[in-house]
Amino acid sequence: MIKIPPYLKKGNCIGITCPAGYMAAQKAQACINMLQNWGFEVMVGKTLGSKSKNYFSGTDAQRRDEMQAMLDDENIHAILCGRGGYGVGRIIDELDFTKFKKNPKWVIGFSDVTVLHAHLFKNVKVASLHAPMASAFNDGENEYIQSLQHAITGKKSTYSCKPHVYNKTGNVIAQLVGGNLSLLAHLTGTADDIDTKNKILFIEDIGEQIYNVDRMMYQLNRSGKLKNLAGLIVGGFTDMEDTERPFGKKVYAVIKDTIAQYNYPVCFNFPVSHKKENVALKIGIEYRLKISKTNTQLLEV
Amino acid sequence: MKRKQFISSIVPLAATLSAFAHGKTNLNIQNPTAIPPYLKPGDMVGICCPAGYITEAEIKPALLKLNEWGFTTRVGSTVGKKDFTYGGTDDERLQDLQQMLDDKNIKAILFARGGYGAVRIIDRVDFKKFKRNPKWVIGFSDATVFHSHINENYRVATIHSKMCNSFPDDWSKAEAMQKETIESINLCLKGEKMKYLFSPNEKNRTGLATGELVGGNLKTLESLAGSRTNIHTTDKILFVEDTGEYLYSIDRMFWNLKRSGKLEKLKGLIIGGFKIKPDDAGEAFGKTIEEIVLEKVSEYDYPVCFDFPVGHQKNNYALKCGVIHTLGVHLNECRLTEER
Repeated sequence: MIKIPPYLKKGNCIGITCPAGYMAAQKAQACINMLQNWGFEVMVGKTLGSKSKNYFSGTDAQRRDEMQAMLDDENIHAILCGRGGYGVGRIIDELDFTKFKKNPKWVIGFSDVTVLHAHLFKNVKVASLHAPMASAFNDGENEYIQSLQHAITGKKSTYSCKPHVYNKTGNVIAQLVGGNLSLLAHLTGTADDIDTKNKILFIEDIGEQIYNVDRMMYQLNRSGKLKNLAGLIVGGFTDMEDTERPFGKKVYAVIKDTIAQYNYPVCFNFPVSHKKENVALKIGIEYRLKISKTNTQLLEV
Repeated sequence: MKRKQFISSIVPLAATLSAFAHGKTNLNIQNPTAIPPYLKPGDMVGICCPAGYITEAEIKPALLKLNEWGFTTRVGSTVGKKDFTYGGTDDERLQDLQQMLDDKNIKAILFARGGYGAVRIIDRVDFKKFKRNPKWVIGFSDATVFHSHINENYRVATIHSKMCNSFPDDWSKAEAMQKETIESINLCLKGEKMKYLFSPNEKNRTGLATGELVGGNLKTLESLAGSRTNIHTTDKILFVEDTGEYLYSIDRMFWNLKRSGKLEKLKGLIIGGFKIKPDDAGEAFGKTIEEIVLEKVSEYDYPVCFDFPVGHQKNNYALKCGVIHTLGVHLNECRLTEER
C-alpha cells in the first residue's frame, strides 16, 4: 500500500531545493511570495541561487545533502523542487528514505523530478506530487498554480479537458503513475523502473525529435509498460523537432499508432506539460479517468 | 599486405609491440556465439535498408568495392524506396530483410545506412532460418538493435561497422584512414583474426581482459533496456559510441547502463568516439567524457580505454560482436585482439 503524506495546514513549512539544474534566486521569488501568501512558511536551501559555475545547482554532494536534510527535517512538511533540468538521477541512489518513509511529506516537481517520483512510488511507496515548480510562479497565479495549492492542502481535484480526435473513450478507476517520457524511458531496466500494470499512465515531454518519441514509445511498449494499462493520459508534447527528412507523422500520431492495438481509454492534450498548462497530479493515488466523446475528466477518488 | 598496412597505419608507436603475448587462452566460455561462415570469393552480399532511406546511386561505391573484394551483390527492394525518413514502410523493410535472412544464397547482409527504424520491425523478424544457417549481419548506429537482439536471443556473431553510405565515391581520392576502415569490413568477412592498435589516452585505466565483445550506439542500447533486446554484459567487453548528444544526456545514459547493472560485471570497457553537442549558453555541464565515464566505474577495477576507433567518424573499424577478444590497455599502447 502506498502511504499518503499529510496534507499541509497554514503555518506548515515548504522547503525549496534544486536537486538538478542551476536556478537563480530571483527566479524563485514569485514562488516564495505566493507560498507565503497561501499561509506557508518557506525554507530555502543553499542550492537555490548557489555559487555553482556549471550546469548544476551544486555538486552532487551538495544537492544530495540538501535533499537529504529536507527529507529528514520534521519541520519541513513538503519539498518543492525549484526546477528540473538534469541531475536527480545522479544522486537518487545515495538518498536515504528511512526517516522519510516513517514521516512522509509531499515531494513536488516534474520533468527531471520524474526520477524521484518513480523512486518514491516504486521503492519507497509514498505518494508524490507531479506539479509546477518554482519558475512556473513567475507567470502569476493561474488555475495550474492553484491546482498545486489545492493538492497540497488536500482538496480533491477534478480536471477536465476538451476531446481530441485520437481519444479512446472509457471510464476507469486506477492508480496514477507517470511523468516525463524521456525519463520514464531512461529509467527502464533500473531499480526505479515502474510497473504500470492496471495503472493510469500519464506522459509528457518537451523539445524531443519526433523519431525519438517514436523510439521511446517503442521502448515503453517493448518493456511491457503499455500493454496492461488501465488508461493512458497524453499530455503536452511541446517544442517538438523534426529531422531534415520529415518523419512524416505528428507526435500525437506517433503515440496513437504505438498503442493502436490496445483498447483502454486514452486522452490527448491533457494539461500536463512543460508549458503553463500543467495541473498538479498525485502519483500513486487513485483517480477516475472518464473519457467521453464530448469531454475528458480526471477525478481524484 | 593489406592487413599489414591496416595495422601499421593505426599504430602511432610502431616500435614496441609485444608487451604481452597471446597464446591460446584457456577460456571457459559458456554458450559461445555461433560464428557465421566466413565469405569466399563469389559469395553474395545482400544490401537492404532496415531503417533510413537511401538512393540507388548512393550505394554504387559500396557495390563496386564489394565486387572488387570478389563478392557478388544483391540489392534489396528497399534500396531507393522512401517512406518519409524510412527506406520503405515497416512492412516493406521487414519483408526485404526477412527475404535476405532466409535466402541461403546470401552469405552476409550489409545495411545501406542507419537512421532510425530497426526497432519498429525487430519483433516481427523471424530468425528461425537465420539461426539454423547464420550469416553475417553488418552495420552500426541504429543497427545496434540487431547486434543486441541477435546476440541476446540467437547467440550469433555480427559485424559492427560502417555501412554503404560511408563508402567514398572516389576511392582514389579517399584518405588512408577511410580506406582502411572500409577494408576492415573485408578482413572481417574473410575471417582474418582482427587486431586493433590505438593510442593511449592519459585517462585510460590500464589492465588486461578477455571476454566477448558487445556494444554499439549508447543511445540505442539505452532505448533497448527492459526489452527482450536488452544486452547482458556480464563477463563481456563492452564498447559504446554516440553522436550529437549533450554531455548531460551522455551522463544520463551512462547512469542507465550503471543502474541497469551493465557496468558492474564487465571484463573491460571501450569508449569509442563521442561527438558532443555543445552545451547551451550558460549551461556548461562541467565534466568531460572521461570524467563522466570514470566516475561511473570507479568502484570496479576492469580496464577502461578512451578514443577507440569506433563511432560516427572516419576512424570506425569493423568489429566482430559476440566474438571473444582480449583488451590490453597499457600506458604506452592499447590493443584489442580477436581470440580464436
